Amino acid sequence: MKVGRRSFLSFIIGGAAGTALSPLPWKLTDDLSIWTQMWPWTPVPKDGAVSYTGSTCTLCPAGCGINVRMVDGRAVKIEGMEGHPINDGGICILGLSGLQLLYGPTRVKGPLKRVGNRGSGRWVSISWEEAIEEVAGKLTEIREQGRPEALAVFSGKRRGTVPALVSRFTTAFGSPNFVTAASTQDSYELALHRMQGVQAAAGLDLANTDFLLSFGSGILDGWGSPVRMFRTHSALKDGGGKLVQIEPRLSNTAAKADQWIAIQPGTEAALAFGLAHVIILEKRYRTQFVSQYGEGFEAFRQMVMTDYTPDKVAKITGIDPKTIVTLAREFSRSSTPLAVCGKGGGDVPGSMNEFFAVHALNALVGGINRPGGIWAVPESGDFGWPDPEMDETAARGMQQDRLDGAGAPPYVAMAALPNRFFEAVAGGKGYPLEALFVVESNPCFTEPDPETVKAAFSKIPFVVSFSSFMDETAQNADLILPNHVYLERYEDVPNPAGFNRPFVGLVQPVVDPQFNTRNVGDVMIALAQGVGDPVASAFAWDGYEACLEEAYPDQWDSLTSEGYWMAEDFDPAPWPEAFETASGKFEFVPEGLQRGYVPVEIAGEKGGFPLVLTPYDSMRISSGYVGNPPFMTKTIPAEVLKGKELLVELNPQTADQLGFSEGSRAVLATPVGTANVRVHLYDGIMPGLVAMARGLGHTAYDKYLADKGTNVNRLIGPTADPVSGLNAAWGIRAKLTRA
Amino acid sequence: MSTVDEHEKDMPSEDSGGKGPPSPDPEQKNKATAYVIFFFFVGLIASLIVGWIIFPQLLYSQKEQPINFNHALHNELVGDCASCHYFREDGTFSGVPDLWSCVDCHMDVQGEDPEEEKFVTEYVWQDREVPWLVYSKQPDCVFFSHAAHVLSGGMDCVTCHGHIGESEHSKVYEENRITGYSRDIWGRNISGFKRNSWDRMKMDDCADCHEEARDSATKDEPRAPVGRVIDNIIRVAFPGTYADNKGGSVQTQRGACFKCHK
Amino acid sequence: MKQERPKKFGMVIDLDKCTGCGACLVACMSENNVPFKPDESDKLTSITWMRVYQLNNGKPYPETDICYLPRPCQHCEGDHGHSPCVSVCPATATDYGMETGIVSQIYTRCFGCRYCMAACPYHARYFNWWDPVWPDGMEKYLNPNVSVRMRGVVEKCSFCYHRYQTAKDKAIYQFAEGERDSTDLEEDEYQTACTQACPAGAIIFGDLNNPSHRVHQIAQPDEKHGGRPKNPNAFRLLERLGTNPKVYYLSSRDWVRRAGDNYLEGEGKLKRH
Repeated sequence: MKVGRRSFLSFIIGGAAGTALSPLPWKLTDDLSIWTQMWPWTPVPKDGAVSYTGSTCTLCPAGCGINVRMVDGRAVKIEGMEGHPINDGGICILGLSGLQLLYGPTRVKGPLKRVGNRGSGRWVSISWEEAIEEVAGKLTEIREQGRPEALAVFSGKRRGTVPALVSRFTTAFGSPNFVTAASTQDSYELALHRMQGVQAAAGLDLANTDFLLSFGSGILDGWGSPVRMFRTHSALKDGGGKLVQIEPRLSNTAAKADQWIAIQPGTEAALAFGLAHVIILEKRYRTQFVSQYGEGFEAFRQMVMTDYTPDKVAKITGIDPKTIVTLAREFSRSSTPLAVCGKGGGDVPGSMNEFFAVHALNALVGGINRPGGIWAVPESGDFGWPDPEMDETAARGMQQDRLDGAGAPPYVAMAALPNRFFEAVAGGKGYPLEALFVVESNPCFTEPDPETVKAAFSKIPFVVSFSSFMDETAQNADLILPNHVYLERYEDVPNPAGFNRPFVGLVQPVVDPQFNTRNVGDVMIALAQGVGDPVASAFAWDGYEACLEEAYPDQWDSLTSEGYWMAEDFDPAPWPEAFETASGKFEFVPEGLQRGYVPVEIAGEKGGFPLVLTPYDSMRISSGYVGNPPFMTKTIPAEVLKGKELLVELNPQTADQLGFSEGSRAVLATPVGTANVRVHLYDGIMPGLVAMARGLGHTAYDKYLADKGTNVNRLIGPTADPVSGLNAAWGIRAKLTRA
Repeated sequence: MSTVDEHEKDMPSEDSGGKGPPSPDPEQKNKATAYVIFFFFVGLIASLIVGWIIFPQLLYSQKEQPINFNHALHNELVGDCASCHYFREDGTFSGVPDLWSCVDCHMDVQGEDPEEEKFVTEYVWQDREVPWLVYSKQPDCVFFSHAAHVLSGGMDCVTCHGHIGESEHSKVYEENRITGYSRDIWGRNISGFKRNSWDRMKMDDCADCHEEARDSATKDEPRAPVGRVIDNIIRVAFPGTYADNKGGSVQTQRGACFKCHK
Repeated sequence: MKQERPKKFGMVIDLDKCTGCGACLVACMSENNVPFKPDESDKLTSITWMRVYQLNNGKPYPETDICYLPRPCQHCEGDHGHSPCVSVCPATATDYGMETGIVSQIYTRCFGCRYCMAACPYHARYFNWWDPVWPDGMEKYLNPNVSVRMRGVVEKCSFCYHRYQTAKDKAIYQFAEGERDSTDLEEDEYQTACTQACPAGAIIFGDLNNPSHRVHQIAQPDEKHGGRPKNPNAFRLLERLGTNPKVYYLSSRDWVRRAGDNYLEGEGKLKRH
């Protein structure tokens, strides 16, 4: 048979014709196109039954209600809970990103024990039994040495059953060193205490306010209860109300405000006095309140009239005297004006001088416990637990001085002084600590001057972190006993920031725990049993859930059905009953205001440091315990974060003088530290000021967040307020030199 | 049989000028042509066989369902399709039932079938979902609303799913090795011809009903793919032949894409 | 089944209320399975279906003013459904639906030529240069109602159309059960993720053709003049290009309204075309 080239060719042609007439090429093309449209590594999320589970968000003190959309038992989307008294369906950018925290790579998946040096990042997984045994063992050792006060706890939260359990533990154990992180909430409460004599939370009746005067508070930048503030602002816009923002920088709040008044930073209290001057001069204050319930008004009036005329205040604050007068008139003419303070997002407690001045202003216009004003809201905190029985060792321990000096003169009214705590431990003042627990906080990053915190850590032989994430503090710990993320646990959120009614939000598990973590409440109960009496007998609960239910017997039904409990009929105490001061009236001039405006000194000499560095808060950067989830980091503009470099804001005039242009690399130096930054020209900042975003500069977490930007806390050290002892630093002197 | 010599004879001689090659022997020529034709047909037939018979066999792998399920028996006992295949409160369709639907009765072994025993011991008691292979699984880009078709459209299950409800055993799941989908999507017939509406369910099969612009007489009958191709050509070459689909998409004159896609 | 009147889904965004917080950005990314990379500071490749721009009045301190402008896909109607992107797509991957006014994007058809990205005057379209990567475990939060894209395709805001699909399903079921009178959707049954999340209530979404919907009442689109808003405080981006977009912005500030289009030096009020 002759098989030649032509035969071969005709075979091929025949084959081609046959193939074309068969479904093979067409089917194959169709199949290949389907195959290429759906690569196996592109996930196809599994469908299933949809349900919603409600809970409360704990990522900031606002206590917003959330509704989590579940598909087939997986949490798929977090949404705001409609009808919730705090947020009514709205939700902020951090709340929305919660699922990235739940499922993220930064989670600590089980108890970890350090191998190698602290901070080397080498860990070995241990079981919960081992972990609790080890901690209980160390604690028992400390007690046996007769020094129970050598245990300290740093807690990010002050209210709720979990902090209460931890505090109960330290008390029954015998240590007074239960230290809580501080914020503007603490300053507000001290103001209420000193001027009204009450132990209460500060609530704002925002629904009825028609003129909101903000002394640098980031109403739209994360202050107080962000979503509630946003809704308040929108309501003001709709209802013809007014927002006036007083701050040196055009923040988002200032941009949206009806009026932005640029002020020399740190001089807010002087402005408050200037406004008071005009209000008193023109008799625009609530005479009934002042005459019947105002103690020390005469002294206040004299101080204000002599030293705080609009011209004098103009010299201090840099604000035009006419502006001051007009503002005072508008503020006092409104039917329900409210003045607030506490800079930026409210992380820094601030100057009591300022808080007292602003609270006095509110009192002048009759806003205390009145519609649209500032209310004293009873705290929840007494869960009806019997006092823990202490043995001799514990009693002796409790009599020791606190290392942070809180509760002792001159800070008798303070519950805790976190900045002084770390300073004392780092400086070796007082007695040495043997152990430190860190609960729901990240002081190695969030506290001012983290170097001091690290130095303090180096003096403590045993550090246990309860963090859910491998954050900076956990990295420097010896043992990590990871807490559930809020979506996996039960907890209570009482007294949400600024809410003007007694309120408790319930946090409930939305998904099963993803990893081998445990609720801190349960761990404390187990530890108590491990340490034995007298601590064990103070913790006679079956578990944290039982403890939580018992803590809210009257509210439990509402908590489980609505997700929150609220005292709907709550009205603040009327003036005749509102004041528990020695005089029974509102103290216009408490200690700390007697010398008028006292500026907070910031570190640094003008000669060496010609500029002033102020931090600013942004909704898009989480500066608290929780690090920015990847979604949020994605939203940070390129004018703030470029690659790994942080850009600081500088007025174009100042930049010109210093020889910087947009994007120039520079070294930012303060008396506390230095950082490599880039310059962003921004017209919205006062000349001579440098503004830096708070919250970046993490060194821990994961590749989505680590090593991006600079931690502003490294550059600004704490300045203790003379009245509260808490950090009042609003900035620091700085200089920018070419890199 | 051919020798080198014969080849040489066919080659043009160097001194023949412009005369061309000597004509080959007519018998040789016929033979060569015959071979050409022969090999053409060999190629044709071989490729047809490969395309029509071997290719489908190679393309699909045969898989069995994890449990051989008897629909007919369950229909008899339970009586109502909607007990296992129901609409949820939010209008979504439950689809293939999960373990929860079966557990009410099957906490313990009910009958004597070894398949049931396997189901109860390996799945129910282990709290493990059965990894059913879904014949009608569509790609991720498809949004199919059972509510729109069954409740609004009044369609019955058989139109798209065939008579699966009367089956006594689970049919073999033939999985396309390239795409991973069931053979039921393209259709058992490799050329794509279908006799019943449930024989295939690719996009154009859905379009059969969704083409409001088409002639109503042919709307309810299954269309051959060739007819659809011709329609498309007419639509593009002679726009306006078919009435404009006012409710639909601008580009294709048919239903808007987001009706069925996500 | 009775024919429903055509809808035109659109948005009104009140720039006096928008605080630039970014919640809409994350709500959209969370709802629509948008991926994220370790470094997202290159905003040209960063995929954010909803993007918030910062506008600036160009004045020096202390007269400086800034304003935030959230920009989803504008779902341009153009002239009878010829949006700029729809007009250029060679693969019919994007299409304009006359019934809903929504510009769809079908990822399986798109082959990534990016012609639509060049055509879109609002930079509302994004290309997947890389395959999405979800760190271990994070793929659990993916929404099954939205397709997950692979590299090489263009994606954009869809006005959360999947929510319309699921709302319709529910309406059909309830109608079949006799729990409601018709399968028409109420205004609050279909809302986009960004609208729902906005803590300031700055975004409003609804049917521009329906006089009872808030978007219609606020924007007051003028049918006879290409849909431009009758509300003097309302404006659309790049109005004069004739894209007929469906997102209306409100601002009481003159400079913000002017920032919505390109004007020559000294050019007066917005010329109506």
